[in-house]
Amino acid sequence: MRGRITIALGGASIAALLMCSPALAQQGGIISWQDDLSPLANTDWNYDRAAHLLERAGFGGTPADIDLLASMSLSEAVRSLVYFDPAANIRSHPFDHSGIHDPGLEPFPPSRPATTDLAKETGEALGIKVKPTGNRRLQPVVNKFFYWLRASVLETNRVAYWWANRMVDSNNPLQEKMALFWHGHYAVNESKVRDYRKLLIEIELFQEMGTGNFRDLMVAVAQDPAMLSFLDAGVNVKGAPNENFAREIMELFTMGVGNYSERDIREAARAFTGWNYADLEFVINEDEHDNGVKQFLGRSGNLDGVEVIDIIMEQPVTAEYIAGKIYRFFVRDDLSSELQNELGNVFRDSNYEVAPLLETIFQSKDFYSAASVGTHIKSPIELAVSTYVKLGLEDVPGVPDFNSATGALGQTLFRPPTVAGWAGGRSWITPGLLLERGNFARDVLFPDINFIPSDRRNGSREIQSVARRIREGLDITSATQPSSIGEGQIMAESNMLADRDEDFNTRYGSFRGWQMAIERVKPIPRHTARLNLSKMVMDQQLTNTAEVIDYFIARFMRVAPGTDARSMLIDFLSNEIGTTNIVEAESYMEDSLRMTLHLLLSQPEYQLS
Amino acid sequence: MKTKDLFKDKLKRREVLRKGMGALGIAGLAGSSLAPSMFGRVAEAAASAAANGKILVILELSGGNDGLNTVVPYGDDAYYRHRPEIGLPKSDLRILDDHFGLNPGMAGLESLFKDGKMAIVHGCGYDNPSFSHFTSMAYWHTAAPNSGEEYGWVGRLADDMEPSAPANYLVNVAARQSLAVRSKSHVPVVFDQPNRFVREAFHEEKNALERVPDVGNVDNPSRRYLLDIARSANDASALVRQAWSNYNSPVDYGVNSLDLPKVVSLIDAGMPTKLYYVSYRNNAFDTHVFQNNVHRRLLTYTSDAVAAFIRDLERIGRADDVALMIFSEFGRRVPENVSLGTDHGAANAMFVVGSKVKGGHYGDLPSLTNLAEGDNLGHTTDFRRVYQTMIQGWLGHEAELGLLNGRFQPFDMFG
Repeated sequence: MRGRITIALGGASIAALLMCSPALAQQGGIISWQDDLSPLANTDWNYDRAAHLLERAGFGGTPADIDLLASMSLSEAVRSLVYFDPAANIRSHPFDHSGIHDPGLEPFPPSRPATTDLAKETGEALGIKVKPTGNRRLQPVVNKFFYWLRASVLETNRVAYWWANRMVDSNNPLQEKMALFWHGHYAVNESKVRDYRKLLIEIELFQEMGTGNFRDLMVAVAQDPAMLSFLDAGVNVKGAPNENFAREIMELFTMGVGNYSERDIREAARAFTGWNYADLEFVINEDEHDNGVKQFLGRSGNLDGVEVIDIIMEQPVTAEYIAGKIYRFFVRDDLSSELQNELGNVFRDSNYEVAPLLETIFQSKDFYSAASVGTHIKSPIELAVSTYVKLGLEDVPGVPDFNSATGALGQTLFRPPTVAGWAGGRSWITPGLLLERGNFARDVLFPDINFIPSDRRNGSREIQSVARRIREGLDITSATQPSSIGEGQIMAESNMLADRDEDFNTRYGSFRGWQMAIERVKPIPRHTARLNLSKMVMDQQLTNTAEVIDYFIARFMRVAPGTDARSMLIDFLSNEIGTTNIVEAESYMEDSLRMTLHLLLSQPEYQLS
Repeated sequence: MKTKDLFKDKLKRREVLRKGMGALGIAGLAGSSLAPSMFGRVAEAAASAAANGKILVILELSGGNDGLNTVVPYGDDAYYRHRPEIGLPKSDLRILDDHFGLNPGMAGLESLFKDGKMAIVHGCGYDNPSFSHFTSMAYWHTAAPNSGEEYGWVGRLADDMEPSAPANYLVNVAARQSLAVRSKSHVPVVFDQPNRFVREAFHEEKNALERVPDVGNVDNPSRRYLLDIARSANDASALVRQAWSNYNSPVDYGVNSLDLPKVVSLIDAGMPTKLYYVSYRNNAFDTHVFQNNVHRRLLTYTSDAVAAFIRDLERIGRADDVALMIFSEFGRRVPENVSLGTDHGAANAMFVVGSKVKGGHYGDLPSLTNLAEGDNLGHTTDFRRVYQTMIQGWLGHEAELGLLNGRFQPFDMFG
């Protein structure tokens, strides 16, 4: 949607916008439409409902974006979002690799001890040879181990920026929204996968197949190196199946708990034996695959992993589980079992095609009912991206840092807390996190002049102190003594362990790994949001502070704050600019407008979409 | 294993247990057979203590801690038969007695045990165990195994202890609120970084931002929820920040402090909080592959943090007021897997730490030879018995009968 809009907003449409808000934004939907999957009548299609659609199917829009959708019929609008053409996305560009992966790093050992053991045994690890003589003969190997850990983290942060930019600026917002859904559904974590390339490949898979066929997507994910690595598929071998992979496929990815037995898990694990990856490719190690007969969900035979997935797809509960989860993500948390069955039927009837399910949902009266409109608590990613979209930005600012900012709100891309992804809904909000959401708005509107980019300067005090002492000429042992312990206190065991092995020094390796990583990973651009709120409101030909507040509420909020909050905001702005007449204040009102917007975006209602 | 060997093994286990009772004084074995009249006395004593500001801190080890490689039954050959590769040899262990040794990473907990400040409760679990992290954790969070329950047991305990729901009664240091603290009447104080628990504002904005939102006639349930949270945020944030900025401790918590210094800072600041909930986050203990190095490290961090917590409480003179309960959503499979790790299991050891704790072993040992379904430890103690011990024995609260969805006898664990 965004970016290709050329319709200029004239005075007339703004007048219409002001008239329909904030009253309409507060009005929400019709109560009796709840649970009704039949399509909304075209006569009920309007600006406000188009705004609701764009919030949910994408990341919200500017008034111009919403006008464009509202000018279509309901089914045209929905189809323009659901049946997007990936090739037509003029805003997408491939990820720009820093070029940090070296020969020898793959297969990356599971831990530092495993790496040094390998080096001791073979004289080499990670493509680095052990020094023949001298002190700390394994140090270069350990440095390289930490280099890759750190470099992958930093590069993953760049991948997250690349993706967030697509969310802000793609003309196919649903492509990115759906990929975000699958990223939470097929949750893999950088800290376990430890390879940004695998994570990138998986997101590209979601972007490509996200609205396609669920069965095909499930097979692709089950054969995806990031997932295989995350769920330890590589150690699932004939004679000693590892159940982790099979369990999560059934419990989290397809059927939900309670629809299969422990025996089904063990049998399915046998079917997946031998599935593995070599660097970035899926491989089946035939020697490790169990070719015996398996009994799975009432079927029996020499099943392999794909056949197990196909049997799972035959279970009615699979369609209901996935359709219900998609519905909760896009519409609302509470869902009756009747509606879930109905959605399951729609999904099954379309042979697990995701797009027709989405089309049904987005056209349904239920989607526009009171229970659905303005009741969704935005995830941190939705909050950040939609804030940028509504401000009219075309990319994600470098300050505040997107990953730290959303992380402080409880969601970092590529770092879901568990295999089950993010819990979502009300769990996004705690007293601490609600305040933090207001702080995010301030960090965007008034970027911190003391901002320190974490991809250039390491924030760890230990690393800083090691770096300083090394530069001062201290030897490695002295430079790596922990510095934070009070006099006469017992040193924690973990802090005593670090220096014991004379073959290498872990703390030095950690410091040196960071240094090498920062040198090679490209920096994230650190521009701040270029905002001109004065121009934004003057372009609307607004004249007084009440009109400004109503315009901001209409532009940014899907649920208007109470009348007392509206009065507070009008009074605040009038007081700050010393008049209610904004034309008089045009030359100096920018900071006041930003503070007013900060107050507005700090309201509890701004968290709703 | 041949039947004959199985039998021999069983005999041996009995012998160990008998020895253990005599020589080591396994307190729990006595505790489990306490006469009913004694419960009355335990409860009475504890009730009078409650007025003295007893505080309960709960530490969750997420991911399923491998209890067998934490408190290692080195005296049982079956342990080594099940774990030929990852079984920890006696020579590596921190020996507690002639049957158990702690994982070598646990220096801090070893000294707490030897000082008599740590209780180990063996074989904690529930019927028909779930091997799913999320399901089993939800059972532990709600104290309602194999059923659904909207509120957490800590949240329900707060409701039961203080129905008027005063502010700041329940604190959860976390990125996201735990189901365990979800409460009908209380709004738990949930924060992660104390110095970020603040509404950052310009001078001009302060009055406007401190405005208490009017909940009034709000139909939208999500909006109402947000307005309630906004109120609680206003109540708690200044207190928490102040406490944290006043806190300055020389105690070394090691690599991962598990948010315990934040708890000490609030206790020291005199917060009216009775219940704290913290966790070792992000499913850390889910050790499916190559587990020994990583598991030892996790235990070292945990042990460092817990030992430091007790020292820190002693430093501020509040050690007698606090008990810490440690649990995980399940133990791990008894036999190792081929990846030098362990898969999701069932019964597990729990720990209670504090200066008023009567240290030692509690609960019957689960058999390592007569395993439950799926090669797991069968539970010998319903985990809610330990919850009940904390509620009644420590906090001195006579809970409403339904609180734990069953009646459980507390252990006699506090002096």
